[in-house]
Amino acid sequence: MTEHDILRIKSLEISLMTGHNILNGIDLTIRAGRIHGVIGESGAGKSMIGSAIADTLPQGLEISRGAIEFDGLTLTDMNARTRRDLLGRDIGFIPQEPMSALNPSLTIGHQVCHHLARIGLRTAKTRQERAVELFTEVGLDRPWDLLQSYPHQLSGGMLQRVLIAMAFASNPRLVIADEPTTALDVTIQKKVVELIARTRAAHNTAVLFITHDLQLAADVCDDVSVLYAGRIVETGAAERIIHAPMHPYSRCLNLATPNLSGPKAQLMILPGTMPGPVDRMQMPGCEFALRCPLAEDQCHSTRPALDGVGTEHKSACHWPERTGLITAVEAPTGTAAGRLGEKLVLRATGLGKAYRQHDWLGRVREVHALRGLDFDVREGEFVGIVGESGSGKSSLTKLIVGLEDVSTGVLELVGLDRATAPRADFFDKVQLVFQDPQSALNPRRKIGRLVTQALEGRGGAYSAATRAELVKTLLAKVMLPPEVADRFPDQLSGGQKQRVNIARALCSNPQLLIADEIVSGLDVSVQAQILELLSALRKEAAFSLLLVSHDLAVVRHVCDRTLVMCKGEIVEQGPVEEVFGNPQHPYTRDLVAAAQGPTVSSI
Amino acid sequence: MMGKMYRLPDPGLLIGGSVALLVLVCGIFAPWIAPYHPNDQELLFILAPPVWADGGSMAHPLGTDSLGRDTLSRLIYGARTAVTVAAAASFGAMLLGAFFAHLAGYFGGWVDWIISRTVEIWLSFPPVVLSMLLITGLGIGIDKVILAIVLVDWTRFCRVLRSEVQVARGQDYVAFARLIGFSHFRVIIREIFPATLPMLITLLSLQMGISVVVEAILSFVAMGVPSDVPAWGQMIADARIDMYYAPWGLALPIFAIFLTVLSFNLFGDGLRRTLDPRHTAQRSA
Repeated sequence: MTEHDILRIKSLEISLMTGHNILNGIDLTIRAGRIHGVIGESGAGKSMIGSAIADTLPQGLEISRGAIEFDGLTLTDMNARTRRDLLGRDIGFIPQEPMSALNPSLTIGHQVCHHLARIGLRTAKTRQERAVELFTEVGLDRPWDLLQSYPHQLSGGMLQRVLIAMAFASNPRLVIADEPTTALDVTIQKKVVELIARTRAAHNTAVLFITHDLQLAADVCDDVSVLYAGRIVETGAAERIIHAPMHPYSRCLNLATPNLSGPKAQLMILPGTMPGPVDRMQMPGCEFALRCPLAEDQCHSTRPALDGVGTEHKSACHWPERTGLITAVEAPTGTAAGRLGEKLVLRATGLGKAYRQHDWLGRVREVHALRGLDFDVREGEFVGIVGESGSGKSSLTKLIVGLEDVSTGVLELVGLDRATAPRADFFDKVQLVFQDPQSALNPRRKIGRLVTQALEGRGGAYSAATRAELVKTLLAKVMLPPEVADRFPDQLSGGQKQRVNIARALCSNPQLLIADEIVSGLDVSVQAQILELLSALRKEAAFSLLLVSHDLAVVRHVCDRTLVMCKGEIVEQGPVEEVFGNPQHPYTRDLVAAAQGPTVSSI
Repeated sequence: MMGKMYRLPDPGLLIGGSVALLVLVCGIFAPWIAPYHPNDQELLFILAPPVWADGGSMAHPLGTDSLGRDTLSRLIYGARTAVTVAAAASFGAMLLGAFFAHLAGYFGGWVDWIISRTVEIWLSFPPVVLSMLLITGLGIGIDKVILAIVLVDWTRFCRVLRSEVQVARGQDYVAFARLIGFSHFRVIIREIFPATLPMLITLLSLQMGISVVVEAILSFVAMGVPSDVPAWGQMIADARIDMYYAPWGLALPIFAIFLTVLSFNLFGDGLRRTLDPRHTAQRSA
């Protein structure tokens, strides 16, 4: 294996037209055959690094300083044409969303062969043979048939394999993978990551792996750089940064991630939010100082340099050795179990849902989304539902809240039968927290009017004063300052919006709250805030929660019991620790194995 | 919204808006602005040229037509007809179109099917022929012209707004409003209508330009307003015969129509850019 540097980024600075920097003094080197991870939360600027290399920076952004060297060539000095020639040939890309990266109206074969033609395969026959060879290499079955398929006929995981095959087709020296697994299911994530690692080993390619997922980075990367507010705060071997970090931010990120094994600890909550590019300009000291549990006066006044703290391990902190002092608070044990009521708020017997599909001849075909579900939720109990996409999780929540009708079986909610009791009886008792706060909050309503929206349509029994009072209590419940009430949703951060979303659902004191993937789109530190909020709410409010999530660790952190769903059926249910600690069903075992991290043997 | 910087309005909005405002003012204050009554004849000044041409005089700044009527006054009174028709017809078309668009977009299913098919059949008639047919049936008059335009052009609103409604309908906040027990009517008014409003206003402004043209066409073929009401289309028709030796009589009303339609279109385009949140986000990023 050659040991020369493939990519060398030197004090790169990317700035807005206004002169505010998005990235600041980024230094990064990747050697041939290594995977270098860039970890950061949204807004840290991690995707900008990839865009800068690919020359696809969004409008209004430009490289204001520094250089990007690729295998001895300075990319930033090249003209557009020579640079374009490098892309796709010497530098490959694996996009974030495989579904939107391929043209839906052209066959896979067409698109792959087009790419192969560009990299210099002359005849149609050689192109097809090469495509098949590549497909076989990435483990796709029946490669010849695949050439004739259209993107919508394949699953996300298969498409991502096709794209990986394309990225590595030209034996590139560098591949940039920007969140390549974020849009995929857990079990597929594992396989895709393994595939990337395997393929780069076979081609001796350097990989720039951009991700927000610490666990993933730990498993797949050789080296890792942690990015915060446009600056690299720590860089070094992946193992060390994940397990023995020397920068408070890395440590906090680690403590904010719920884990699937080991003792349950309270998640680390970072106060405030990451400073934006405008705020950063006014900070003479460390950008993380405002949120750092160890910050002292010096941190606010002078910025620490990225200095070595070990072999090939650098940290931008004045006191890297103190990092270990940040510890998680032990979760108080045995709080929840005693508070469970005896009454059932939900009871499903033989619950099923079938959709009818008509084909063009009018023949009816029944598609069973859910089959024979038996489960119940007690008063005050938090139950998690896990499963991959297509397992029927969302159909189930729709059934419970009444957006869909029950086909077979009985669904009893708060003592009433969902199918026969009038819809109006459920409005106050069962509430849903939506997945995407962006879409769930009407952008034209103020927060105050949003959280008490449930009161509207109940007649004019509520005066403005009682309503204002209620707004205040609800916002306090979700730990938002009262002045938020006069703002519009767009003026809040993602985490704040999700809290408004929760506050709104709590407005009518529901007995059952259904949370559909409420943390899946959020950053690690924000996710920690929301999860801790749920735990805190549990102590005071008497409601049951049905938490739908694909993330087992999240469910383990919040719930008492869990249901595992697969293809519309419940394959396993029981207390969280039992199910995840000792899974019985093969599907659960797969899920748990995938969540514990891919086992890539580092080379 | 607070914290928003005041920036220069969109140029199209500014220019289009001011010209449209000028036309509007002309229409409203026509009796005070116009130097003569539009139907007053001065038989000594037949086909007088405008003031900047040879033989023009300040008495008739834009000349007179073949019956000795003052062109400037007729243009100003013509603006009155144009603006009335544009405003009333566009508003009517909007109400009708928006109503069906919200029904179709919100309820979907067979409601959507019926409304969409109706709109498609409606759109397959050539619009000008359809309005002429309507006028033939209804008779001549400014209110008939308005009704004809409403009945022809509501489909335009219905089509565009329906898809806007469908987008808003798919948002989770609409589902939530149903979950807390809002009635369908309330959901449409409180949650969906505010989301489609920007598009509605934009369409309204564009429709005004179209209405001006349709009104001119109908007046041109003498199927619009009665002959004693001055209208731009009528002026073009009247000046047609003498166009070789008195081209101004033809050019001026055409220019008036051109300017008015252009201003409404610019205004509408500017509104779309200003009200579209995606554009706003891009500019502030």
